[in-house]
Amino acid sequence: MFTRGTLIYVSQRLVLIVFTVLAVSSIVFLGIHRLPGDALFSEHLHGDAYQNLLHHYGLDQPLQTQYWNYVVGVVTRGDLGESLVNRGLKITPIVTRELGVSVTVGLFALVFTVGLGMVLGVFAAVRQNTWVDYLLTTTSVIGYSMPNFVIASLLILVFGIWLQNVTQGAFFYQLGTWTGGIDQLWLPAFALGFPYASIVARLTRASMLEVIRQDYIRTARAKGLRETVIMVRHALRNALIPVITILGPLVMGIITGGVVIENIFGIPGLGKEFAQSILNRDYAIVIGVFTMYAALVGLANLIVDLTYVVIDPRIRY
Amino acid sequence: MATATTTAQVSEAEILPEQQTLWSDAWRRLKRNRLALVATIYLVFLIVVALVALVYTPYRMSAVGIAPTYAPPSAAHWFGADSIGRDVLSRLMVGAQVSLIVGVGTQLLVIAVGVPIGLLAGYYRGWLDSVLTFIINVFYGIPDLLVAMIMVFLLGPSLTNIIVAIVVTRWMDMARLMRGQTMSLREREFIEAARASGAKPARILFGHIFPNALGPIIVQATFGVPAAILFEAFLSFLGVGVQPPTPSWGSMASDGISALEYAPHIVLVPSIALSLTLLAFNFLGDGLRDALDPRQKR
Repeated sequence: MFTRGTLIYVSQRLVLIVFTVLAVSSIVFLGIHRLPGDALFSEHLHGDAYQNLLHHYGLDQPLQTQYWNYVVGVVTRGDLGESLVNRGLKITPIVTRELGVSVTVGLFALVFTVGLGMVLGVFAAVRQNTWVDYLLTTTSVIGYSMPNFVIASLLILVFGIWLQNVTQGAFFYQLGTWTGGIDQLWLPAFALGFPYASIVARLTRASMLEVIRQDYIRTARAKGLRETVIMVRHALRNALIPVITILGPLVMGIITGGVVIENIFGIPGLGKEFAQSILNRDYAIVIGVFTMYAALVGLANLIVDLTYVVIDPRIRY
Repeated sequence: MATATTTAQVSEAEILPEQQTLWSDAWRRLKRNRLALVATIYLVFLIVVALVALVYTPYRMSAVGIAPTYAPPSAAHWFGADSIGRDVLSRLMVGAQVSLIVGVGTQLLVIAVGVPIGLLAGYYRGWLDSVLTFIINVFYGIPDLLVAMIMVFLLGPSLTNIIVAIVVTRWMDMARLMRGQTMSLREREFIEAARASGAKPARILFGHIFPNALGPIIVQATFGVPAAILFEAFLSFLGVGVQPPTPSWGSMASDGISALEYAPHIVLVPSIALSLTLLAFNFLGDGLRDALDPRQKR
C-alpha cells in the first residue's frame, strides 16, 4: 500500500506546503500593510505614546524590514506576532489552540457526513424506485440547497429553544472538554455536514445502482451469501471508489463552512477568530489565522490524497 | 411538370417532421419537467419582485422604527419587523436584487474568464494546456470562502468587490468544463472542415466551438448562480459582505440570530427565501441538463 515512492511523494508535498504557507502569509502580510493609514489609526494617539506603540510593533520600520522580521520570526520561532487590539497577547498559542478546536469539529462533521451520506445512499439504492428512495432523494436535494447557517438556526430554534426543557440548552460547544464536548458537537456537526452528506448520498446511490447490477454480485447471491454481507462487503466497497473522489472538495467545504458554523454556535475555533479579527481590524491576527488555515488546508489535502491509496489499491504515488 | 413539383412538395412536407432547432427542442423537453417548470415560475416571480423593488417597496427599506421592534408578522407588516423596527418584507425585496445581481453578475464574469481559458487550453493543448491546468489546480487548492473574505477585507466591501472576489475563487469549474468540451469538439469533422477552408483560430474557437458548447455552459452557469448567491450570503452573514443599510438575505439572517428566541421570523424569512431560491436554481439546472443533453445519464 505505502511504498518508498509514497514516502518521497509525501516529503515533496510537505516541502510544497511549507512554501505555500509562506507565500500565502506573505501575500496577506504585504496586502494588509499596503492599506492606507496604520493599524493604530483609530486610537487617536499622539506624541510619545503613539511612537512607543509603533516601535513596540516594529511599525516604525520600513516595510522590507518589517516583512523580513516577520518571516524570520515565523520560520525560526513559529512566532506570528502580537495582537494589535489586546496588547501583549501572543498570537501563536491562541491560533494553535483554536486550530485544535476547529479540527475536532471538522473531523466530527466529516465522519458524520460520510457516514450518514453512505447509509442514506445505500438505502436509497437498495430500495430503488420505492417511497424510501423518493423520500431520500428529495431530502438530499433540499439538504444540498439549504445554506448551513439556515440549518444551524433551525437546529438552535428546535433544540435550543423549543425543546429547551429536554436539552437543558446543553447543545453548544464548551472549551476544555476535549472528549466531553463530543455530545455537544452533534448539532454543529449536523449543520456543517448535512449539505455534504446530501451530495455523498446522491453519489453513493448512483454508484451503488451501477455496482449491484454487476456479475460478481449475482455470483455472491448465487453462493447463498446473506444480503447484508453482499451489500456491505461486496457492493459498497466498490461503490465507494467514485464517492471518494469528492473527498477533497468535501474536506475543503467543511473547513470553510466551519467559519460560519463556529460563529453561529460560538465555538472558539479558527473560523470564529478569523471573522472576529477581520471585524475588529486586528491585522496581526488576520495574518496569523490565515497562515494557520493555509497549513491546515495543505495538510488536509495531503491526507485526503493518501486516503485514496488506502481505499483504492490501484492508485499509487 | 408543375403538378409533379407540387406532389413532391406535399409528400416532402408529409414525410419530414417539422423542423426544430436545438432550443425549441430543449424548451419542449423542459416544459415536460414539472419541477423545473415550477422552479422557472418561482424565479420569474423573484425577478419581478426584484424589479418592482426598484420603484416600489411597502416601506422604505432603511426606515427605522416604522413598526414596534421585533413585531411579528401582521397585516401591515407581512413579514414583521426587525430589531430596529424596519419592515422585513421591504428589506427582503431589496435583498432579492442583491442576490440576483451577485448570482447573475458573477456567472457572466465567470463565463467571460473561464470560457476563453478553457478554449485556449483545450484547443492548443501542449505547454499552454499544462500551464493553464496547473493554474486551475492551484486555484482549486485554495479555501474559497477564506480567500474571498480576505479579498473583500483588503479591497473594501462593495457589491463590485464581492462579485470580483467570488469570480476569482470560483471561475475554475467553467474553465475546466470548457477545456473538456473543446478537447472533444476539436476532433469533430466540422472543425476539421473549418480548418481546411482556412478559418483562423479565433474564428474556429469563438465561431464554431463556443456555440456548440453553449448547452453545457448554460447548465454550468445555472448551477453557478445558486453557488454564488450562497457565497454572498455567507460573506454577508459573517459581516464582510454587503454593508448596511443595504440588506442582503445573509446579513438579515445574521442580524436575527441573536433574537432567535423571541422573534424567529427575522431569521426564518430570509432563510426560507434563500433556500427556495437555491432550490429553484438547482431544479432548473437539473431540468436544463436533461433538456439540453438528453443522452446524458442521470
